[in-house]
Amino acid sequence: MAYIDYYNILGVSKDASQDDIKKAYKKLARKYHPDLNPNDPTAQRKFQEINEANEVLSDPEKRKKYDQYGENWKHADEFNAQQQQYGTNFGQNFSNDGTTYTSWSTSGDTEGFSDFFESLFGSRGKRKRSYGYRGQDYTAELHLTLQDAYETHKQILTVNGKKLRITVPAGVANGQTIKLAGQGGEGMNGGPAGDLYITFVIDDDARFHREGDDLYVTAPLDLYTAILGGETIIETMNGKVKLKVAPGTQNNTKVRLKGKGFPVYKQEGSFGDLIVTYSIDIPTHLSEEQKELFRKIQSLS
Amino acid sequence: MQTDWIIINEYCEKCHIDPSFIIMLEEGGLLDVQDVEGERYFPASQLRDLEQYTRMYYDLSINMEGIDAIHHLLGRIEEMQEEIRHLRSRLRIYEK
Repeated sequence: MAYIDYYNILGVSKDASQDDIKKAYKKLARKYHPDLNPNDPTAQRKFQEINEANEVLSDPEKRKKYDQYGENWKHADEFNAQQQQYGTNFGQNFSNDGTTYTSWSTSGDTEGFSDFFESLFGSRGKRKRSYGYRGQDYTAELHLTLQDAYETHKQILTVNGKKLRITVPAGVANGQTIKLAGQGGEGMNGGPAGDLYITFVIDDDARFHREGDDLYVTAPLDLYTAILGGETIIETMNGKVKLKVAPGTQNNTKVRLKGKGFPVYKQEGSFGDLIVTYSIDIPTHLSEEQKELFRKIQSLS
Repeated sequence: MQTDWIIINEYCEKCHIDPSFIIMLEEGGLLDVQDVEGERYFPASQLRDLEQYTRMYYDLSINMEGIDAIHHLLGRIEEMQEEIRHLRSRLRIYEK
């Protein structure tokens, strides 16, 4: 556990007045408050830090205890470990069938103090806002492979100990967020529950690149087929297809396969296109005989 | 779709919110308030926004004009984040 320099976090000196501390806190809170920094986990963590610092320094009793403790602290140079310490308190990590996601509250509540705080003051420092009503919103990230996103499927997630079965529709986009109403934190004072926002993160695929509903793939083509024409087999997301190759096909020629791309979100049976780029393999390590034949062609043309 | 409504008096009482704050939001055009037979309501769909305004006003000491301006700017930030996400994914084609 590392010592946390609360004065440093609020940017005030050790002899700052209560008024200075209040001012510094308000200024930083306006800068890092989650309401003013949507989708920014860094600001969220920063906000937790300044809240904790304020919790201690704005309370004369806690401040006194903290000051006395600080004088006796032997490992004051461990400041930089504090980031990690917050990291463990910030949000929760879940793992489920290879999908990982994190969730955090977006309502700016001051929950989750550091170990340092808890060891000094216990966990009783948590202040519940009196005007709470609606439950917290949760934000979670769900990682999918391109293949996962290709087909409508169900996934079971565990959010705050509650199992949730969600349907992931085919064709979800990378970064797309869906809202599950009422699946967030419980309401207070009889208020409604918050919502759960799930953002899909689709990891890059080794073979296919997705652009909207279209897929891009690079396919090797042997030299002889490129020159003389013929057929080649292309792998699509759902199986192989045979393509006719025109004689004299150039390197980087693009072929568009209608309807062989990605499913269109919430339009069943509708697909984008697959754009195939041929990459012609030039033979290497030729035998003497092969070289001789190429020379012959060369002399003919 | 049916809209759920929240009774303002009840909400203010339960959540310790000064009813004049709701009136300020209404006058500032930030909250849609409906009058039905002497009882005043706001749509549940605006609860999330309302609580955000409450935090800005009480926790961050931002006045009504500031809240209005921030509300607009947040909308623009969200649009821009969406656009950046889209552009990034397009850019990846060319970076390969």
